[in-house]
Amino acid sequence: MHEWSLAEAVVNSLLSFARKEGVSSFREVELTFGEVMELNRDIFRTAFEELSRGTPLEGARLVIREEPALFRCNSCGHTWDFDEAHKMLSHELGILEEPSGDRESPLHFLPDLARALLKCPSCGSRDFELVSGKNLRVSRVVISE
Amino acid sequence: MSGADVDPMLHEARARLSRADKVIAISAGKGGVGKSFITASMAAALAERGRRVGVLDLDVHGPTVPKILGARGEITAWKGGLRPLRSGNIELMSVGFMIGEEPLPSAGGEKMSLISTLAALTDWGHLEYLLIDVPPGTGEEITWLLRALRGLEGAGVLVVTTPSLLAESVVRRLLKLLRDERVDVLGIVENLSYFRCGGKLIRPFGEGAAERLSREFAVPVLARLPIDPSIEEAILSGNFYRSLSEEVRSAISGLVESVETLNPAGR
Ligand SMILES: Nc1ncnc2c1ncn2[C@@H]1O[C@H](COP(=O)(O)OP(=O)(O)O)[C@@H](O)[C@H]1O
Ligand SMILES: [Mg+2]
Ligand SMILES: [Zn+2]
Repeated sequence: MHEWSLAEAVVNSLLSFARKEGVSSFREVELTFGEVMELNRDIFRTAFEELSRGTPLEGARLVIREEPALFRCNSCGHTWDFDEAHKMLSHELGILEEPSGDRESPLHFLPDLARALLKCPSCGSRDFELVSGKNLRVSRVVISE
Repeated sequence: MSGADVDPMLHEARARLSRADKVIAISAGKGGVGKSFITASMAAALAERGRRVGVLDLDVHGPTVPKILGARGEITAWKGGLRPLRSGNIELMSVGFMIGEEPLPSAGGEKMSLISTLAALTDWGHLEYLLIDVPPGTGEEITWLLRALRGLEGAGVLVVTTPSLLAESVVRRLLKLLRDERVDVLGIVENLSYFRCGGKLIRPFGEGAAERLSREFAVPVLARLPIDPSIEEAILSGNFYRSLSEEVRSAISGLVESVETLNPAGR
């Protein structure tokens, strides 16, 4: 359930950009999320729309792109995807979600913890890269003239 | 535009930090000088004075504040973000609660992104004081701190040094950087200053470093803390602050009092 916090971050940063640049309204916002964030798009969209109400973001078309995760080991060269990574996550380390009571891996909230929570499935090294599919970024905005 | 000029996580981190009346970052540029110990004991002292206090442990490679405070548990998430863990009357957020005893080697840019996200997701509620335990080093962690605190109202840095010449030279660089980047420095804390032996004050690491830095940068020396074996014992005892020696506790209490006077919350 970090969709609301993420939406808040995106909306506030865009509104502060708009203030600085004198933008009166946005036509389109494209966001790219890493697969490891396991974002629930519906919740995010609801949050984004609610937080945008009455601001230059209201009515903007929201495009949400998910970038597939790709891991690559610097030690043995093995590459793997999120499904394989997911199977390796320890159940001992988690974050408790309210109100659902589900336990999620901290990786989902803080993808930069990957090297603490995972090892290369082939050689066991922590010297790997999360080549893509990690964080959130605003990949494009279209501003109304 | 491409969107590259918008950094939602850093922006949100600043927004959430600014919800606290006062933000105090405890930094040294160096490891092992007592930043985490000072952060934890200041938090305990502020809580004892009835302040609403939070600690953001940014030492992602060696999170130690939870250990000092004897805090254990699992973080919960809700609509507002990640809830800090409550330990005594202190709200504490640390990756220590998420990675257990696993090591976290990081590579280019990851540390900055990690601490931005941690600060952006933490839901503190209303705090009078938010203390930040800044990791050692003057790389990414300090760049992050500059970006997070620059121009933030009610935010300042408490710089920890020891009397050693080596610490002094690292701390001098940090003070220069903070001055050049226009980040407020509240004052200097000299740790490991002296110990008492048969009524005599012994200064094994020399003296004068804190005064020299204070004069050079026109910032006050807010406290001098003795070398005190009760600190290690207090950490092991599980009741940290109460188990500190009278001398250390009164020095910390004096430090917190100066900080409160210099930088009063709720104004
Ligand atoms: N004044 C002191 N007297 C005795 N031990 C101290 C003192 N200050 C810190 N220590 C101990 O020194 C070690 C390093 O302190 P710590 O707070 O972890 O430093 P840092 O966070 O700057 O790396 C810890 O074991 C701590 O208990
Ligand atoms: Mg420390
Ligand atoms: Zn490998």
